[in-house]
Amino acid sequence: MNQQETSVSLVKRVYNNAFQFLRTNSAYFKPFLTLAILEFLVLILLYSAPREPLRALLGPPIKTFWGEKFLHYPLNFILLPKLVSRSFMVLSIVFGSLLSGMAVSIILDIYNKKRVQIFNAFKVAIKRYLSLFGILLIINLGYYFIGKFISVTLIKYFYTGHSKLLFMGPKIWLGIIFIAVNFFMAILIQAIFVYSIPAIIIDNKGFHKSIGKSIVLFFKFFIPTVLLVLLPMLLYIPIIVLSSNYIFLMDKLFPEIVFYVEALSIIFSVLIIDPVVTMSTTLLYLKNKEKG
Amino acid sequence: MKKTFFAIICIFSFALLAGCANDQYSIERRYWKVQKLAEKIFKNPDASPPRQLDIAVSKLQNFAKRYEKNNLAVDAEFTIPRLYLVKKEYVKGRAALSSLIEKYKKNENLCAEAMFLIGNSYEIQDKWASALGEYKRIIQTYPVTMRGLDVPVYIAQHYKVSYQPDKMLEAYHEAIAHYKALSEKFPNSILAFNADTLVIRIYSEIKNWPAVIISLDSIIEKYKGKVKADTFLLEKALVYSKQLKNNQKAKEALEVLIKDYPDSRLVKPAKKFLADLGGK
Repeated sequence: MNQQETSVSLVKRVYNNAFQFLRTNSAYFKPFLTLAILEFLVLILLYSAPREPLRALLGPPIKTFWGEKFLHYPLNFILLPKLVSRSFMVLSIVFGSLLSGMAVSIILDIYNKKRVQIFNAFKVAIKRYLSLFGILLIINLGYYFIGKFISVTLIKYFYTGHSKLLFMGPKIWLGIIFIAVNFFMAILIQAIFVYSIPAIIIDNKGFHKSIGKSIVLFFKFFIPTVLLVLLPMLLYIPIIVLSSNYIFLMDKLFPEIVFYVEALSIIFSVLIIDPVVTMSTTLLYLKNKEKG
Repeated sequence: MKKTFFAIICIFSFALLAGCANDQYSIERRYWKVQKLAEKIFKNPDASPPRQLDIAVSKLQNFAKRYEKNNLAVDAEFTIPRLYLVKKEYVKGRAALSSLIEKYKKNENLCAEAMFLIGNSYEIQDKWASALGEYKRIIQTYPVTMRGLDVPVYIAQHYKVSYQPDKMLEAYHEAIAHYKALSEKFPNSILAFNADTLVIRIYSEIKNWPAVIISLDSIIEKYKGKVKADTFLLEKALVYSKQLKNNQKAKEALEVLIKDYPDSRLVKPAKKFLADLGGK
């Protein structure tokens, strides 16, 4: 109980600091805003894929991998979330890694009461780009393959004649339980690797050492870390609910709802959740370093 | 900060303005909206008010007129009589279908489809004689269309569902004669192949197994080198084994399949089947 109170008060303290910094340093948001703009552009490109002139470029791969029907209204909106998710994964690995590194470098400047210079942050991050790239690659691929493994295992289980698993049918397992498992898995994976980027940027650690450091800190601050990742992620639950009901929403409202929910998801994840998680966990990292 | 905000607004405006274009995608989008109106009536025809039908018909007509060269215009035009039929306005529905037959008289597939819907409208009203008249007219006038090929079996299935076995058998025999005549009239065509395949299906349906074997042998021989016969050989083995209880002949068919089509996806089940029959 005592330990729990300490964890909660630690989280409170970190959040107090974090929100104070967030309110007073708008420059911190610039890397996230850049990523959000990139994601918006990709979203619009994919949304416009069935139309000329983009159809000439994006039409053939869509036709080859998923079928011609997905180049027509409204079926293109059924494929859109899948295309968006894969593309954002690439964006996150290629650009998100660099921009997260920049964000951590900016936090370090704010924490040390130095003048924030975006270009300096860029220079710091680009020097360690390969390590940052590797970390984001592991996080994204880990999330993708574990999710795939769970879904394939469940599908195989139910397709081989089993009608129930732990008293529940395939509808519940492949529906709400799979979504919930995916959500908590995303939190866990992020929590395990969340200190690697601060370790790379602040302590100039290499790829392997940064992962090691992150895992050590994850276990040391297990509850605060999980809380710092989980609490902002709770904001994302409405988006998850909406996106898991796309077919229903398309039928009851209009197919473009998929585009708007995906756009909303960018705002929530890149402009709200990511800045808060990065700021709070980096501050916790810095506080731990200060103590140590 | 203001610049980035402006950039986001521009991106969104671009996305929203893209919907105002007049390309195929925009046409599909407009059609989806019109279709939604019709869908409401299809889902609950009895509860939908007459005004809703008028609005849907008028929107569909406008769409078809505005995009008359687009394929979706035809779909819209066919949705109108379908709406009348679900709303039990049979006279209006048939009139709309007749005008479609007149409008698309050069397109046999569309005419056959419209005529089939007229037949359906009589069936809904429980006027089988009139429906049959329309269906026979399709067989005579548009025999080489997809619908024309399908209708003889449709007639027989009507008798099957309504428990009239004699009439069903008669209809099936008429269908067989019709398909055989088509196959002879258009030899080596896709139509002939489809007709020959339908003959096998009908013999299976009426459980005339020796005739199924003869038809399968005939189709294998007739389309040798043109069409893969692995499915026919497997079917032949199944008929010999399960229906005619002749495992020796079944084995022979499976051995031919394995020998002649070593790359076929049916080789694995064929080998298993052969093993079950006590073969190699």
